[in-house]
Amino acid sequence: MIPEPNRRQLLKFGAALPLAINSLRTRAVESQKNRPQRIIFICNSLGFYRRNFVPTEQGELGSSRYLKHLKTQDKVTVFDKFYHPGMDTSNHDSEKSFLTGAPNPEATGFVNSISVDQLIAQKQGNQTRFPAIGMSIYDRGWGCSWNDRGSAIPPMHDEEKIFDMLFGDEDLRAKKQQISNDQKILESLRRDLKRLTTEQTAKDQYSHYESLIREMETQLEHETFWLNTKKPKVSKSLSEDREFEFSTKIHNLFELSKLALRTDSTRVITLSLDWIYGAIKVPGATGGWHTLSHHGGRGDALKDLSLIETDIIKHFNQFLVDLDQIKDGAGTLLDQTTVVMGSNFGDASNHTCKNLPIIVAGGGFKHRQFHALDRPNPLCNLWLELLHRNNIDLGKFGTSEKDFKLLGG
Amino acid sequence: MNRNLESGKRRCIIALAIPLMLCASASFSHGFDGPTKLLNKYCADCHGNGESEGGFELSKLFEQKSFDGTLAFENQITHKMPPSEADQPSERERLSMLNWIAKRQPPRVVNSYRRKSRSEYNHGINDLLNIDLNLIDTIPDDRGTNKFDSDRRILLTKEMLSAYFSAADTMLEYAFPSNGFYPLTTWRTNRIRESHPSYRIYNRPYEDGILFSWTRANNGNSYSFFYDGFAPPESGWYELTFDAKKVGDFNEDLTIQVHAGKYYYADDRTQPQRLLDVISVSKTDTKSYTVRGFLHPGESVSVHCFHEKTWRKQNPKTGVYIKQLKVRGPLRDWPPRSFQQVLNGVALVIPPRGKLDFSLEYESKIEKIGGSISVSSFQKGMEKENMLDGSKRTFWHTQFSPKLASPPHYVIIENPKLIEVLGLTYGTWSGGNGNGQIKAYEVHSSDDGKSWEKIKGNGQLEIMLDQEQPIIFSKPTKKRFIKFLITDSYSIDGRSLASIGKLDVILSESKEVNRTEIRVKNGTEQMLSRVIGRFAENAFSSELKEEELDSYRRTSLDAYEKDGDFLGALKLGLKTVICSHRFLFAPGKHKSLDYKIASDLARTIWLSVPDQQLLNLAKSGKVSQESVRDQIDRMLRDDKSKRMIHSFCGQWLNLRSFRKVSPSLKLYPLYDELLDHYLPKETESYVRYLINENLPVGHLIDSDFSFLNQRLARHYQIENVVGQEMRKVMIPKDSSRGGLLTMGSILKITTDGFHTSPILRGAWVSQNIAGNTLAPPPEEVKAIEVDTSGAKTPREQIELHKNIESCAGCHKSIDPYGFALESFDATGQDRKRYRNVLSHKGTFLYRPSGYFKFGGEVDTVGEIAGEKFDDVLGLKKLLLSNHKKLAYNFMKQFFEYTNGHEPTLAQRIVLYDRIPDTLENCGLRDLIKEVLIISFLGNK
Repeated sequence: MIPEPNRRQLLKFGAALPLAINSLRTRAVESQKNRPQRIIFICNSLGFYRRNFVPTEQGELGSSRYLKHLKTQDKVTVFDKFYHPGMDTSNHDSEKSFLTGAPNPEATGFVNSISVDQLIAQKQGNQTRFPAIGMSIYDRGWGCSWNDRGSAIPPMHDEEKIFDMLFGDEDLRAKKQQISNDQKILESLRRDLKRLTTEQTAKDQYSHYESLIREMETQLEHETFWLNTKKPKVSKSLSEDREFEFSTKIHNLFELSKLALRTDSTRVITLSLDWIYGAIKVPGATGGWHTLSHHGGRGDALKDLSLIETDIIKHFNQFLVDLDQIKDGAGTLLDQTTVVMGSNFGDASNHTCKNLPIIVAGGGFKHRQFHALDRPNPLCNLWLELLHRNNIDLGKFGTSEKDFKLLGG
Repeated sequence: MNRNLESGKRRCIIALAIPLMLCASASFSHGFDGPTKLLNKYCADCHGNGESEGGFELSKLFEQKSFDGTLAFENQITHKMPPSEADQPSERERLSMLNWIAKRQPPRVVNSYRRKSRSEYNHGINDLLNIDLNLIDTIPDDRGTNKFDSDRRILLTKEMLSAYFSAADTMLEYAFPSNGFYPLTTWRTNRIRESHPSYRIYNRPYEDGILFSWTRANNGNSYSFFYDGFAPPESGWYELTFDAKKVGDFNEDLTIQVHAGKYYYADDRTQPQRLLDVISVSKTDTKSYTVRGFLHPGESVSVHCFHEKTWRKQNPKTGVYIKQLKVRGPLRDWPPRSFQQVLNGVALVIPPRGKLDFSLEYESKIEKIGGSISVSSFQKGMEKENMLDGSKRTFWHTQFSPKLASPPHYVIIENPKLIEVLGLTYGTWSGGNGNGQIKAYEVHSSDDGKSWEKIKGNGQLEIMLDQEQPIIFSKPTKKRFIKFLITDSYSIDGRSLASIGKLDVILSESKEVNRTEIRVKNGTEQMLSRVIGRFAENAFSSELKEEELDSYRRTSLDAYEKDGDFLGALKLGLKTVICSHRFLFAPGKHKSLDYKIASDLARTIWLSVPDQQLLNLAKSGKVSQESVRDQIDRMLRDDKSKRMIHSFCGQWLNLRSFRKVSPSLKLYPLYDELLDHYLPKETESYVRYLINENLPVGHLIDSDFSFLNQRLARHYQIENVVGQEMRKVMIPKDSSRGGLLTMGSILKITTDGFHTSPILRGAWVSQNIAGNTLAPPPEEVKAIEVDTSGAKTPREQIELHKNIESCAGCHKSIDPYGFALESFDATGQDRKRYRNVLSHKGTFLYRPSGYFKFGGEVDTVGEIAGEKFDDVLGLKKLLLSNHKKLAYNFMKQFFEYTNGHEPTLAQRIVLYDRIPDTLENCGLRDLIKEVLIISFLGNK
């Protein structure tokens, strides 16, 4: 069996290799075990209305008003009774902790920790042009992805720019020149910092900047390597519908995710879906998503809210169906992609982080449709398990207790 | 003033039982009681001995180290506590207690430095290079969930640094373009592009140009008409001059909204476009009106004409007549200011800038180079010549009747003189249902028309897009034949069709335009070193020694030695400077404290770097409280301080999110884009005026003037304001307007555009304007969204809070503010009754009367700290009665904006101490000065 060549090998053999890789890859396809594992996290940060979401029967999704829309039910597990411990106040900021598990995000001195997607990207990122891609509906500067300093990694929000980054033509000569210039600039800046290390006054500042230089250099090295491989070409299947701008946006974020996964441009994607400002329009309803999420049990609000949430679920379903139709090795792309869809809120109306709605789809797991846990589990148990499945063994992640192998398979 | 108890309980007896332990620890050495004894004396009645009013117990303050005393501190310093009918401490005693709480407060961990925000980065480089680019939106938002961009908890990340690197490239390239400057070009046009069939009737040919009436599209959006005959060749500033007049008998001005955007013609919905500027047409004889806008390739200019009293008029007899649009650009001073500033003292070779004038006559480039075209098939009346006539209304179409032509469909261009061709430009035909529009293509070339070689594969085109789409070959071709082969096209019924409105070649640019290059005459390494050195000193706000500069010069000097390109090498050096830690972090490393102060002032007031005057002051070592006060005055007068106003209002008042809220057109049908444009401007103009005129802090709450124009005045029902320029307008005596609270901007941003919530508005006013400190709501509160349609009034629904103790503590400081503002709807207009949405049949069709019925009456009475009020006027009076609290809040907000963290309790004591005793003396500029001096000078 020929293993997938890794990036280091490629660096060693130099630029002549990429042509050869393809044939290596084709042969490696035969072995399903060696197929690259991908993962996507989707945070629907205003949650799902629980009564419409949670199925009434164990092992049965048809009884849920929302989940009955999922067509790939045999590749889906919906969990109940996950929660995030340490959420004591109003939890407006709980989205910050969705993938990190850090308690009390509202506290004044809160410092976040690294998120599960970024840990996986650190491990897998070298294999693809983009180690990880984060996307959101609008320019918000933060989402679910956090680095090891606990800083937010800003998601991208402009479809055109994302598409262009993934598939757009590049002036290779100019790009090469720019990278080489930037490398020289970083070298100069490092020299300047070295000169200053004798000064104690701004030590934090200097060491912070030095680590940024290091990270930039790694990124440039990564970019240089990928300059030797042409970007994949795909047709631009983004929707231009402007009547339902919000729906269009969600559709396009899923579409971009699909394209990125299909072309193996990245193996880690994180989507942050929210809109806390004015009204949005989806088929059948116009209203403030955030306002409606505070339905307080009122019928008319719930009606509109469920139309918005159904719209999201339908786009999500389309994404699963699409992935499941793309052949990948012996199975489908969905089998090779762990899809996690969930929310930081169990009940957005009351701002609680208990009973979080969590869906895991694909990834080749033994799925069981609806799985109500026998007791409340910290969500980090699931994150810990996903880390294990990506060969990352930290012993503990966030508020995790133990890897209970909830995904079977 | 009479400040009553909040809970209505009587408290008048001073606690007698003071724990012995505390007595012993108190200090008697100053001749009055020690702070802990004082706290017991004034607070224990309600908060000691088992009493815990409002959930606060003194013992926690005394015994629990981790207990946060901020709320107790804030209540004391703003004189909320002790309540007015209880015994009041002397100011000296109060200070003693405050100091004690401040001292016990554990120091909060605040980063010792902060990053430059994206706005500061952008403005700073603009000033250093003397250019004017707005790249803020190309860098990710950087305040997170915090209020202020400057927040120190937000650390610079690799992703942000990467964004800064690429913004630096764009700005340097704009300042010193590698391939010279595009000629100053003039376009003249009086043609508009084909519009959606249902909207053609809203303009008509008139005299030498076009008469426009106003129309909103069926979905309520402003419908714009796009001009043809101008396409920006590169990103830059352009001057747009409209020769226009109003036609008809109007007392007020008519308005032209000038937009830029891409145009999708087969669509009556919102076009993705942005408002560049607004022209107020005042005269009935033709006059030139000029605006400036930053435009990108692929965008067109469009106009939407607006009249407040009618909304649609078919085949108009009245409206705005536009004779022609003249565009000039890309605008650059000559020689460009970037050269003058950065290369000051360096000898330059500056040729005169090239000029181009586009005539209205059209000739295709294929014809210009003596070429011709042939096609695979054609439909009668839709011949190939239609692709070359410059119009996209006429088009070529493959044959479909009587027989459907089968693929392949293609166009072959013959280039007999073998002129170098870089690519093709393609335009869809502007009409129809999209049939035949091309989605994918290949390009092949040939010497003989027989054996073909693919020179571009798998190309894609957007359908429905009006703009021409360039197709650039991977390398230019000089072959005799070029085949444009259509591999996929749009068709409603699946038939194989192809159509093209316009197809032409793109020739090597040097043949079309002569870019003008500015060169450095006899450049030397010394010159380069000097230029970088001076630039770095300005950027870092310091004097720099040779060894400090070495790292910033070396890359540049190496490059210069290698290839002799002075400007290219210079850009490397400048980029090193503006991407360095010394530029990106504050505080930076400065030669002296004076330089640091200069840097801090410039960053706060101008979001930028110091100018020469500030640097000179720092160099002379004469920075003192007095000279800084003078500098602040000077800096605030400078137009660059508008950035601070914009930034501060954007963050403190959250105007930054203003446009994210779109009011419901069912409830508020008269709301429009013009209001959206001007409402935040009212607030910014007003705040700027208050600061520049040093008016008392009370003006934040109430005033007899504001800054309005015709549109805003109509919104507020204030008469006799004509023209759209913003100006100071006196508010009539019977109006409830005046001050921030009653501005449409604030009233809109505190809603979701549909309904108003007394809780959300109340919390916002309470925290941001009244300056109350509120604890975050506890987990698992039942959030209430107010329903205005049902049997229960909003008050009945909300006052449930009163009955729940855990809610009442905070909500009595929230809800009343919101109730007072219930007389304003989500767009800030006066209302007496709520509006409830009615459903419409089928698709929403805009109508000026909206879709609503009136609900219950609004109820604005409230009570804060025992003071009752009837409406917003009463609330304003109540807020004005404690000017120190208003000033204190304003200073705290400005302090956080300035420093990137809240003031510590000790700093708050200093801030409060600087507030003048009378409202009249409490000028906003003075307050800002105090904050800046406390922040930057300390005891200097």
